[in-house]
Amino acid sequence: MFSFTHEQKVVEISGVHIGGQPGLHPTVLFGGVFFKGDPDFEDAKRHLQTLGELSKDTGVPVIPDFFIRKESFVESIIEFIEKTLPRHHPFSVDIIDPSIKIKTLEYLHEKKLLSRTIYNSIHIGSTKEEIETLTRHPPEAAIIVAFNPKDKSPDGKLEVLENGAHLTEKGLLTLAQEIGIKNILIDTAALAPGENSGAAIAAIPVIKEEYGLPTGCAIHNVVEKSIWLNEYPLVKKTVDVASNMNIPLFGGDYVIFGPIENVDFVVPLIAWQDILISEYAENYFGVVPDPSHPRRKLQR
Amino acid sequence: MSINTLELMDDYFHERDSSWEKYINQAVHEMVSTGIDLVSDGQTRDPFIQLFTRRLGGCRIRDRTEIVGPVEYRGPITVMDQKYVRSILPKKTGLLGVLTGPYTLTKSCVDLFYHDEKQLCFDFAVALRKEAEQLQEFVDVISIDEPFFSHGMPEFADELIGTITKHLSCPTRLHACGDVSGMVAQLVELPVDILSHEFKASPHLFDAFQEFPSSKNMCVGAVRSDDTCVEPVEEIISHIKKAFDIFGDRVVQIAPDCGQRLQPHDVAFQKLQRLVKAGAIINGR
Repeated sequence: MFSFTHEQKVVEISGVHIGGQPGLHPTVLFGGVFFKGDPDFEDAKRHLQTLGELSKDTGVPVIPDFFIRKESFVESIIEFIEKTLPRHHPFSVDIIDPSIKIKTLEYLHEKKLLSRTIYNSIHIGSTKEEIETLTRHPPEAAIIVAFNPKDKSPDGKLEVLENGAHLTEKGLLTLAQEIGIKNILIDTAALAPGENSGAAIAAIPVIKEEYGLPTGCAIHNVVEKSIWLNEYPLVKKTVDVASNMNIPLFGGDYVIFGPIENVDFVVPLIAWQDILISEYAENYFGVVPDPSHPRRKLQR
Repeated sequence: MSINTLELMDDYFHERDSSWEKYINQAVHEMVSTGIDLVSDGQTRDPFIQLFTRRLGGCRIRDRTEIVGPVEYRGPITVMDQKYVRSILPKKTGLLGVLTGPYTLTKSCVDLFYHDEKQLCFDFAVALRKEAEQLQEFVDVISIDEPFFSHGMPEFADELIGTITKHLSCPTRLHACGDVSGMVAQLVELPVDILSHEFKASPHLFDAFQEFPSSKNMCVGAVRSDDTCVEPVEEIISHIKKAFDIFGDRVVQIAPDCGQRLQPHDVAFQKLQRLVKAGAIINGR
C-alpha cells in the first residue's frame, strides 16, 4: 500500500473525482465503446445502462471511453453521447487519427459537450493542427500518454513528460498546460510482454510521487498481447479482468479496462480491491474514504 | 530528417515495433551523397550525452543525466547501429565510430552517487572501453569526443583516454572542439593516433600547435560548425594549405570543425560538398 509524500491533485470532471492519496476516492474505470466495426448503438445503450447500475450499486465510477475510428462516425457517436448518457455524465473520446481528433473537438464544441469531455489523448505525436484546435476548444480534461520510444522504463516515461525526450520541442506536461488543459491525467503507456510491460505499473507510484497527478493505464493491453495465454481461454479472460487490480494496488487512480462488455466483471473486482486498500490506508495512513467509496457502500 | 513522432505513436497504438533504421539510412545517405569518404551513423537517436547514458547502468535520464549508482556497461550502445551502417555503406566509404568521452560525460551529468569526479570519469572510461572493443569490429576509426577539454583538461586525461584506447586494433581519434590553445601540451601526449580540432573557427590553434611539435596525425577542421555562412572552396583550400605548411603529411583528415547538428540542413549539406571539392582539388583529383 502506498502513501505519497508529494501533495496529490484530485481533479473533478463533471462530478467524478479522480486522484488523491490511495484510499481516498474510488478507482475510476474507463470502458471502451465501439472498439470494432461500425458503431452498434443499441448494443452500446444496453452496456451503458448496465454500467450505470453497477456504478450506482458499488460506488465505482465508470466513464465510457468512445472510440471514434472513422471521420464519418464523428457526428453520429457524439449525438449518441448527447442523447444517451445522463446529462452530466463525463465521457472520453479515444481517437488515433489527428484529423478525426480535430473534427471531434470542433463538433464537441458545437454541441457544448467539452465540459464533460476527457480527451484521449495528448502524446509525442500530437500534431500542430491538433494542438491549435485543442487550444481553441480545450476539453475539461486530457489524458497524456507517457510513451517514450527511446526508453520504456519509468524513467523514460518521466523524461517524455518532463522534456519530450528530445522528440518534441517541450515536455508533454508543459504542452498540456500551455494548451490550457486544467485537468491532466497521466497514462503510463502499457507495452507488450518483452517490451518492459511491467514498467507501466511500476511507473504509477513514480509519477504520482513526482507530480502528484492522477495516474493510470490500460494494463489489460498486456494480457491481449500475451499470446501464450490463448492456450488457456478461460484463464485468459480471468487474467484480463484481474490484471486491472494491479493499478489501484500500485497507487493508481484510474483503469482503462478495455471493452465495455467486461464491465460486469471489472466493477465488482475493483470495488473489492478498493475496499482492501481503503481499510489499510485508513488504519495506517489515516486516509478517510470519500462517502461515495465502495467501502462505505458495500462493507456493512 | 526530423523524427516522425506521429508514426512512432501509430506504431504504439497498433502494437507494431518501431524501426529507427530509416533515420540512420537517411543521415548516412546524405553524408555519402556529399562525397565525404568517412561517415558516422549520424547520431540520430539522441543528443550525444543521452545516447550513451541512456544505456549505461547507474545513469538516470532527467533534464540532465543523473548518476544514481555505479556506472556500468550493460551491453552494446552504438554497435548495432554501426553494424547496420556498415551494411549499407559503399565499400570505398569509411566508417567512424563515435564515443562521447568520459570527461565530457562526467561534466554533463549530475553526480548524486560518486561525489568523486575522477572515479566517475574512470568508470565511464571502463564502460566506453567495452563499447570500443565491440565497435572496432565494424568501424575504421574510433573517435572520442571530448568538447569539455576546451574548458580545461584533468591531470589524469592521459590515463583516462588510454583506458579506452589501449591495444585497440583500429586507429583512434580525439576530437575536442572549442578553443583548446591552452591545452595543446597535454593534447599532443594523449594516447590516440589522430587529434581533431576546430582550426577554422580558432585559426590561432595553428600557432599553438607549432609550439609543441609532435608526431600526432591531425584532423583539421576546415569549415565552421557555428556559422551558417558557407565557406567558398578557395577559402577552404587556402586553410588546408596552411595546415599542410604546419603539419605536413600528418594532415590525414579534413572535416567540419564539429558536428553539424545545429546547422540548417541545406547549409550543412553545402558545407560538406565544398569540403569535398576542396579536398579533391588539394589531392589533385
